[in-house]
Amino acid sequence: MSAVLDVSGLTLGFGQVVALSDVAMTVQAGEIVSLIGPNGAGKSSLLNCLSGFYRPQRGRILFAGRDITALPPHRRAAAGLGRTFQGLQTYDSMTVRENVLSGMHVHMRAGLLDAMLYWPRARQEEARFTELAEEIIAFLELEELRHAPVGALSYGLRKRTDLGRALGLRPELLLLDEPMAGMNAEEKADLARFILDIRDARGIPVVLVEHDMDVVMDISDRVMVLEWGRVIADGAPDAVRGDPRVISAYLGQA
Amino acid sequence: MLPSGVFFTDHAAEAGLLRTLPQRLWLAALLAALVLLPLVAGAHLIGLLTMLCITAIAVLGLQITTGMAGQVNLGQSAFVGAGAFVAARLALAGLPLPLVLPLAGLAAAAGSVAFALPAMRVKGFYLALTTLAAQVMFPILIIRLPAAWFGGADGLGVDPPTVAGIRLGGATAMYLLCLGVLVVMATAAFNVGRSRAGRAFRAMRDNDNAARVLGIDPLRTKLAAFFAGAFFAGVAGALYAYQVRYVTTEQFTLWQSVWYVGMLLVGGMTQPLGAILGTLFVTLLQEMLRSAGGALLDADVGLQGGAIFAATNVLLGSVILAGLIFEPRGLAHRWGLVVAAYRIWPYPHR
Ligand SMILES: Nc1ncnc2c1ncn2[C@@H]1O[C@H](COP(=O)(O)OP(=O)(O)OP(=O)(O)O)[C@@H](O)[C@H]1O
Ligand SMILES: [Mg+2]
Repeated sequence: MSAVLDVSGLTLGFGQVVALSDVAMTVQAGEIVSLIGPNGAGKSSLLNCLSGFYRPQRGRILFAGRDITALPPHRRAAAGLGRTFQGLQTYDSMTVRENVLSGMHVHMRAGLLDAMLYWPRARQEEARFTELAEEIIAFLELEELRHAPVGALSYGLRKRTDLGRALGLRPELLLLDEPMAGMNAEEKADLARFILDIRDARGIPVVLVEHDMDVVMDISDRVMVLEWGRVIADGAPDAVRGDPRVISAYLGQA
Repeated sequence: MLPSGVFFTDHAAEAGLLRTLPQRLWLAALLAALVLLPLVAGAHLIGLLTMLCITAIAVLGLQITTGMAGQVNLGQSAFVGAGAFVAARLALAGLPLPLVLPLAGLAAAAGSVAFALPAMRVKGFYLALTTLAAQVMFPILIIRLPAAWFGGADGLGVDPPTVAGIRLGGATAMYLLCLGVLVVMATAAFNVGRSRAGRAFRAMRDNDNAARVLGIDPLRTKLAAFFAGAFFAGVAGALYAYQVRYVTTEQFTLWQSVWYVGMLLVGGMTQPLGAILGTLFVTLLQEMLRSAGGALLDADVGLQGGAIFAATNVLLGSVILAGLIFEPRGLAHRWGLVVAAYRIWPYPHR
């Protein structure tokens, strides 16, 4: 079986700064892969290349067997690549449910005319997707807040809404950039459980950028370590934890 | 917020625009009053309300482009003008009103896309400049085109509309027509807000990077926002042409575009209700100041017409500014608070 994601030779520079150099990466079906590394190692840059915000100077990105290297972000999303961002990036004027529904944009068909007339065709589609959105809302235990404007929610709940929105896309691969940064232990545990559920119940492979080593070692099937834009280790959590280069990268930073 | 005791067991029912019986009754009563108004109101008030309906349609369109989708538009008046000229031309060619209205809307919408397309890579200030260009180009274009098309600098005269063979000549008929079209267009605007297109607009306004990652094509979405907003403008322009019976480029000025933006700001950008409340508030205020100015002029207190005109404009501007400072989210937000307070009364802590 071929990999969901197959990246090779990815090289990205900003002027003199080398953000990524010759990075290779694969994600297999059903895998949770964590991406770790010191600050400025290139983790977000890698995700931005994957989702199409940055154009690598060299390299190739195969997603579900298809070359997506040249596609703009919204076409990659339509192809099934979902992601969340570092920090808060929800649609703050919308409710939780509207956020999740907006994640279903690529699966819905209603156009401008349907929107204005709101005739049976549009109404039925809206009702059908509202039920699907409610499934996601129930999964993330946000039922009580479905009509709350997201801008008014706590950090943890907004990150959860962000995740719900990404699930609305029904992705075939989910990229999460530091979803737990700024969370307390309880919120982290909740989110870790959701990530495992996403993989187990929905079969969606996950690429997770995370600084919290306990969480990473707990939930990952595989850990990839970046330093100065290079992959310095890639393997099972236990193997990576003992790798002398990884230890020195982290000790060097501390 | 819903009144207590009202809840839904079905997610689809929840999406209704009017969710409770009292809401429906209030709206029905309001509409009935507006329909019956010509029986008691004078010609001046009916004319004013007709213009108000037309303006509200243009501002509803601006609410979609600027309020929902966050695309600045200082050329809405030019799009109203485009609709007005196309409507006048089509009416002269003998087309009936039910065809003229949507065609004028589509023509204005197409024009807006032509202007927005080159501006798609720019945002904010630069986009404002491009829409300004549309506003400046509009009269030049109309005057330069062959006079046989849109009458050139002389403009075009328009005959009263016919609907299903009936000639709508009188002021009352025009009022009822414009009111009816406003109801239809307002419903359409509210519908956009609760559907896929409206969510895409708001997603892009709230966070365009996140919108792209969720498969929303920024180019298409921005163009759709201009298209929809200018469609409303074009319909408003067609009604204007029928109402005033004469179109010339001088009626569609940059100032009018700025007024549209002012009305939307005062009413509240984020919901269609804001467009209606803002139009109502500013139009009535304009009218009050105008008649006060007229009274002053008649009383001959030694002020000159120019000074009075300037003073009323300054006053109007100050009232709008004060409104924005004290309620930056607009009248619609304030209205929502009042309704919520009424529902939880007498227990203010819900
Ligand atoms: N848009 C950009 N323009 C210029 N340099 C950039 C840009 N984005 C990233 N860089 C540089 O690329 C390098 C990698 O940054 P990146 O944000 O990918 O690191 P990171 O691993 O995500 O770090 P952190 O853990 O702090 O989020 C850094 O040196 C950064 O300064
Ligand atoms: Mg980062």
